Parts: sequence; structure tokens; C-alpha cells
Amino acid sequence: MDSVLIEILMNRWLKSMESEFAEEFLEILLKMMSLVFLINYREFRRNIDGFNGRYLFKSKDDAITVSVVFRNNKMVVSERPIDDTNVTVIFRDGKALMNYILSPKPDIIGSILRQDVTFDGNLNYLSKFAYMAKRLQLMATGAI
Amino acid sequence: MNNLPCKPQTEDGVTMTAFHNIRYEEYTLDNLDLIGELRKNQIKLKPAVCVERARHITHYLKNLSSDDEPMEIRYAKAVNYFLSQKEPLFFDDNLLAGTTTAKPFGAPVYPELTGMAIWPELDTISAREKNPLSLSQEEAEELNFAIFPYWLDRNILEYTRRKYNNPQCMGLFEKFVFFIASKAGTVSHTIPSYKVALDKGLEYICEDAASREAQIRQGNGSLSGENRQQAEFYQAIQIAMQGIIAYAEKLRKKAAELGAQETNFFRRNNLLTQSEILGQVPAKPARTFREAVNSLWLVQVAIHAENINMAMSPGRLDQILYKYYERDIDRGILTDKKAMEILSCLWLKLNDNTNLVPETAEELFGGAGTVPAVTVGGIDENGEDAVNELTYIMLRITELLKLRDPSLNARYHYAKNSHAYRNRVAEVIVSTGAVPAFHNDVVDIKTLQNQGVKTEHARDYAVIGCVEMGIPGRSYDASSSIMFNLVSALELALYNGKRPVTGDEQVGLASGDPATFKSFAEFWEAFKSQLQWLIGEAIQLNEYFGHAHQEMLPTPLLSAFFEGPMETGKDLIFGGALYNASGATHIGFADTVDSLNAIEKAVFIDKKCSFQELIDAIQANFIGSEKLHAYLVHKTPKYGTDDHIARKNSQNLIRFLFDFYQGHTNYRGGKYKPAYWTMTNHAGQGKLSGALPNGRKANKVFASGITPVSQAASNLTACLRNVGGLDGRCIAGGEAFNLKYPAIEGQEDLHKFAQAVESYFISGGLHIQFNILSYQMLLDAKKHPEKYPELLVRVSGYSAYFKDLNEAMKEEIITRTEYNLRSQTRNPFPAEYESMLPWE
Repeated sequence: MDSVLIEILMNRWLKSMESEFAEEFLEILLKMMSLVFLINYREFRRNIDGFNGRYLFKSKDDAITVSVVFRNNKMVVSERPIDDTNVTVIFRDGKALMNYILSPKPDIIGSILRQDVTFDGNLNYLSKFAYMAKRLQLMATGAI
Repeated sequence: MNNLPCKPQTEDGVTMTAFHNIRYEEYTLDNLDLIGELRKNQIKLKPAVCVERARHITHYLKNLSSDDEPMEIRYAKAVNYFLSQKEPLFFDDNLLAGTTTAKPFGAPVYPELTGMAIWPELDTISAREKNPLSLSQEEAEELNFAIFPYWLDRNILEYTRRKYNNPQCMGLFEKFVFFIASKAGTVSHTIPSYKVALDKGLEYICEDAASREAQIRQGNGSLSGENRQQAEFYQAIQIAMQGIIAYAEKLRKKAAELGAQETNFFRRNNLLTQSEILGQVPAKPARTFREAVNSLWLVQVAIHAENINMAMSPGRLDQILYKYYERDIDRGILTDKKAMEILSCLWLKLNDNTNLVPETAEELFGGAGTVPAVTVGGIDENGEDAVNELTYIMLRITELLKLRDPSLNARYHYAKNSHAYRNRVAEVIVSTGAVPAFHNDVVDIKTLQNQGVKTEHARDYAVIGCVEMGIPGRSYDASSSIMFNLVSALELALYNGKRPVTGDEQVGLASGDPATFKSFAEFWEAFKSQLQWLIGEAIQLNEYFGHAHQEMLPTPLLSAFFEGPMETGKDLIFGGALYNASGATHIGFADTVDSLNAIEKAVFIDKKCSFQELIDAIQANFIGSEKLHAYLVHKTPKYGTDDHIARKNSQNLIRFLFDFYQGHTNYRGGKYKPAYWTMTNHAGQGKLSGALPNGRKANKVFASGITPVSQAASNLTACLRNVGGLDGRCIAGGEAFNLKYPAIEGQEDLHKFAQAVESYFISGGLHIQFNILSYQMLLDAKKHPEKYPELLVRVSGYSAYFKDLNEAMKEEIITRTEYNLRSQTRNPFPAEYESMLPWE
């Protein structure tokens, strides 16, 4: 049942990437991540074993504020800002964030020129998050 | 045929050494069978991520060491541990033992530096479009679960951020578009001395360090302060040397084991010979040429166990190895053919590793190798001609092998080196199309002396990485500490502290609205103020990183191969070298100068437009201002011509930067040395920059190094005169000057080619390098990369395979001015491709 739910979320996630601004990209990604960690889908929880990380994602227009805390092998998502983040990621829209994290051929030049994504804090935490997101994408598309 | 002039004869008239045709034409890849085969196989190798070093270093620091232990010793032990665990591998029939990584062509991971930048692409790096690196699932998992998590908060970047509370200068660096603070990813960029290792062996270094440590500890109970630090340093050196010796011993045993099992006569002999060699070197002194070369190679491998593989340059190999060569030739145990084979094996070994580059960096800056620079020729410490047989042998093997690395650099002293040598270097450039670079001994030595280097040391200079000048085993130059984007400061001055690429953010000083300026002098002052501020930020960050390196990543192993640290008991990173410096190189020099010229002429002399009109035009990327654009492109002064405004502004900028940088002292007690080489950064940074007053349109690449803007300097003689005429004293960190000819055909062309270099050097130029490639060939290579798999091009201080460069960099090389050597003028750029040009 849980696997079915994950597959539904994955499909929804992949579809969300196709929309113009990928508004739901982050929301579905985090939902999906929470679930895969919870049920340890394909041993995904190993990625957060012993990992403590505090993330804040904010859209430039402040319409989206999402915090993610990894602690005690769990992932907690909230729509409230938090302090003491390891990294804060500020993005133009869902599409910009998606391209920054997932694109197989990232338009880095365009991304910098458009100031699609900026961050404040420890880049390594962002790299780890991007790894997990990319892995989920590969799982969703059946590549792995 | 050009023969070397005879060396002095003994009293009874016997020639002391047999000389040879300096071209060594009889040796080809066909009759150097081993080398031909090795090269063929090496070129086919695909790069792979190597986790071996990261695995062992991380494991040691995480599980086997204590945070309480002084870092000097702790890191030496980590490196010793890695070397002791390092797999003794023999991938092919190379005559030299030792490998940089555990892969035939490996990209080692240095997680303490920028290795973690590949974390997001662990599952995709093997299949990425640009320069993929193969990585197995097991190794990806090892990086993801076992290695990278340890370094999350511990790499140099994050350590520095935390220590200095996320300073503003770091924020500027992380925007990418102002400057690059290279110490986040590397110090390296230096030239060790192998002399003691080769002459006396690593056991001697150990004993020396032990004796010095014992002296400090004698009679002192517990040490503190400087004494303690010195004792720890000497202890660390011993630990590091023992690691190298342990690795060599593993190699020896493995070679013996494999040799005993081998049925192929050649391979068996090779392995058993290597086993014998490793029984001697590097622990003990080298007795033969082959032992010396293998010892040198093993030291290079060991240095990379501690220091990232970026521009760790072997130096003047024709000088270092000459006595071993001469002795073995005299004893009849070495032939030129054998020497050539051994050195070719070294060249191939120097190519056994590459940089680990994340996809984002490939997109912006990719294509570079590790750039271990080898230097030949020039004069010796006594000021006499140092060219010898090995110089010519190294030129020949470079000509035959046509590899990306090592980056060969030919020193030329126009009063002391022969024309035969000069012409031979020119021949090799023509033959390879790109290698080597020429360096001007006269000016380079003076420039170094001006930096306080003793004359005999200055005469012994060698090239680091791209083009920087270092004193082997004596100077710790950190020559790539800062890569500064001059155009960013120019834009800050144009937009009163803002840049188009960073939007409405007030990044820089409020230096004034240029529309209100009454004279060019006012704008020049505004520009200088932005430069001073921004360079100040870059220097500040370099100092922060420098201190972080001192705390986190000392270099006892590397220090053992320098004069100074052993005598003073001070690691290189703490200023132990005889000479210390930090290099700051500049991107966008020519575009910046031409923009200054354009402002001065268009706004204040010809009054073609107001400053506001100029700013409006560049903000609109010249749409609607076509007439003004044409004027700016064709009628304003260009650097590289005889125009007095261009000369004035280029000299003023060079001098201003020199004076400003030299007014700063780095954390090791050395000065900042400005330089003008750009690797591929001029392409990436150009893509991120708006239109400029010189007529360059938005997002077009900048000119490379200190080279004039593509197509701007139409007369070759004037170009050479004006680039050469820049005050060399002010280019203390070196320059990359790139020229292009479509072809050099026949002796007359060759003579003109070589003579032009000489004239350029006499006019004061420090350095020059070439692509002997036409517009058409390069355009074809871009369109059909499969037809040119081994096309080597000179980028900006080093060589790369054209196919490995990103699209922007390919276009930059294509559009570089192609000169007709006979008419001394530029050849017209193919009209159908004019959209590639900077102003189109």
C-alpha cells in the first residue's frame, strides 16, 4: 500500500515538473521524501541515519516558506521558518529550484544570470539534499 | 641538421660528451615501440573518479585519530596511513612504478577541499554530457554514506565560513561573478625540489628531521610555543617520509611477485627491474638515470597524497636529471633511445590523473587538466646557457607524444641561448600546433629580482601550472590564490556599485553616477575605488582561507622538498619557504582596458555620446544604438595597437594593480603578485557579463590572459610591441599571451616565426604561446569533433584537447585573431561565422 502511495506521489511529482512554474515541485518532493524515509522505501532512510540538518526553502516573493529538519533519523517538514539553519535556499519559483537541483544538463549560466537560486549557509548540506532529490527522480523514472 | 655546439674538450682533445642531432629525428613512435603502444592505450582511457585517497584519509581522521592531536602530526599520519594502504598497481608496461590513483586515469577526490561538489551527481556523473567520469555504484555509495558525511562541516570552505562567521567576502566569492578564491579548492601551485630526494634519498630526510627534533627536545621537558611547533613539524616530516617509503616497499614486493609470475620476457624483465629499482629509491639515493626518474615520479605521487593535483609542477627536469643522464651515458649504461623511453614514460605518468570537476564547473570553466608544468632551457644559476641534451630530448618526446600534460615551457634567453635552440622550440610548436610556451629569461629574471629574489635563485626559475614563475624548492607561491574579474569592478563603477548579473543589489561602493562625471579622470577614480574595495575583499578572504589551511591542512610532506622549512622548523603553510607570495590573476584585462579607452574617447574626447547615453546603450545591449555601437567597435582605441590612449590606460591599469597588491602582505609574510592568465575563466565570466563600452555585446566571452580582444589588434608587429611594452616588473605573477597563426610553412616562415618571438622578448614581453591552427580547421573541429579526437590547443597557459572544452571556450579560441606571418596583418574572420565575434 505504501509503495503504491509512493508511486502515485512520484508520478504526481514528475507531472509537476512539466508545468510552467512547477509550483508543486517542492511540496510534492518533500511529501515524497517524508514518506520514503518513514517506510524506508528501498532503504532510503540510510541517507539520514545519524544526519542532523536544518533547511529553509523560501521563494523570492515569500509565497513559499518551508523548513525541513532531519534529526533522529526522521524528517520533519513545516511551513514555518526556523532559526539556525545549515542552509537557506531562496528560489525564484519551483521551476528554478527544480532546474538547480535536478536538471541533467543544468543551465548554470542562465541560472546565475536570472538569479534563479541563491543560498545562504553550508553548500554541502544543499549538495546532500540535491543528491537525495536526484536519486528520487531516478527512482521515479525507473532509471534505478 | 643542427648540431649542438661542442662542449669543452679535455686536455687531450677528447670530446667530453657525444652530441647529437638536436631534433632526434631518428626516434619516432614507430621505433620507440613501447612508447607508441603506451600512448595509444593511454589516449583511449576514460577518466574515473578515484575514492581511494578519500577513503583512507577519511577513515584515519574519523576512526583512528584524535581531535586532540596537533594537526601537523595528525594530517601527516593520515597521509602516511593512506600511502601505507595505497594499492601497488601496475596497469601497463610503463617503465616507472607508482600511480597517482587506483584507476588507470583517475580523478582523485579531496573531500577536505571541493571534492564534495560532485555529491549531487553521484548517480549521474558517469553519464553526464560534458567530460563524464565513471563511478561505480559501490564507490558512489561509499562517498555518499561513508566519506562525504564526515566532511559536511569540515571542508575548508565550511570551516572558514564558521570560523569567520560567514563574512561578506565569502558571499561575494559565492556569487561566482566577482572573484574566485581558489584556496577553497587548492593551494598546490608550486614547484618542489627533488634534489635532496634524488641525491640523498628519503631516509636521509627522515634522519635529518629526527636529528633536528632530538635537538629541540634535548633537555627540554615539555615544549611549548615555537619549540613545540617545530618539534611537531619535524616529527610530521618523518611520518610523511615513512609513508612514501612504505608505499614504495609495497610496490617493490608487488613488482617482484608479478615479475616472478610473468611469462612474457619483456614484462618480466621490466617488473623485476622495477623491483630492484624500488629496493633503492626513493628511500636511498638514486644511482642511475632510471632510478632518478622513478624516484622523482614517486615523490610526485606522494605529494598528491597530501596536496590536490593542481599545478604541482615538476620544474626544470632537464637540469635536475642531467647529471644522472650524463653519468649513465658516459658509463655506457644508458643510450639516448633508452633515456627517451624513460622520459616518455614519465610524461605518460604525469598524465595518469585529472581533476575532479563538477558539472557546473565544466559548463563554466571546464577543459583544464592538472597542469603539471615542466620547464626546459634558459640559463643556469651562473647566468650561462643551460640547454643540454635532455632539453632537446624533452622537446622531442613532447613533439612525439602530443599530450595535454605535462605543460611544457621553454625558457629562452636571447643573449645566452642559441638560435638553434630557439628555432627548435619553434619547430616543436609548429609540429604540435600548441606546445611549448616561450618564456623570456631576461624579463622574467628581472621581474623576480624585483620581488626580492636573489639573482642566482631567480636564474633558476621554473614555471608553475599555467605561466606563473616560481623558484623550485625555494618559493611557495600559491600562485592561483585569487582569480579576479576586472570587468566586475568596471561594471560596479558604471552602475554606481551594482552589476547587471546581480540585479538591483548594492554590491559595491556608491562610487558616483558616471552620468555626472565631468572628466575621464573622475571615472578612472571611481573605477579604482571599486577595484580597491573588491580586491580588498578578495585579499581578506584569501587571508581567512590561508589561516584555515594552517589550522586544517598543513603540508609537512611537501615541506620536506623545500629549502627553508627544514632549516627553520616551519611548515610551508606557516611561511617556512625562503620566498613567499600569493598570486592574484585577472580576468578580462583587454576588455576592461578597451572599455576605459572607449569611455575616454567616446564620452570625453570625441563627445560622440554622453555617459548616460553610453550606459543606456550597453544596458540595451546596443539595440537601438547601432551607430554608436559601430563607432565603439571600430573607432575607439584598442589595446594591442599603437594608440596612445590604449597604451596609457593599459599601463596605468597594470601599474595601479601592481602597486595596490604589493602593498599587502599575506599570512605567510609574502607579497601579493598580480598576474594575467585566465585558464578558461574568461569564457565563463564573459558569458555572465553584460555589454561593455568597448562594443562587446552581453554574454560574449572575454579575451584570454593578457591577449588583446579578438580581432582588435590588426597589426602583428604593433600587437607584439604593445603587449611586450607593458611594464614586466608589474606582472610579477606571470602572464598568458596567446597568438594564432594558421600555418607555418617552410624555413623562411619558421625563421620569421622565431624572430618575431625574439623581437617580442626584446621589447619586454614575459611570455608567449601559440595555436598554429586556422579558423577553418577550428570551425571544422567544432562541427565535427569526431574528426579531431586529439586536437591539442593552447588555452591560456596550458593545453587542452579541443573536444573537451565547453562551447564558449571553443568559440573563444576560434575567434582569436589569426595573423598572417608574412604580411604581419590579421586574416579576415570567415563572414558566415561573424556572429561568434564579441561585438556581434
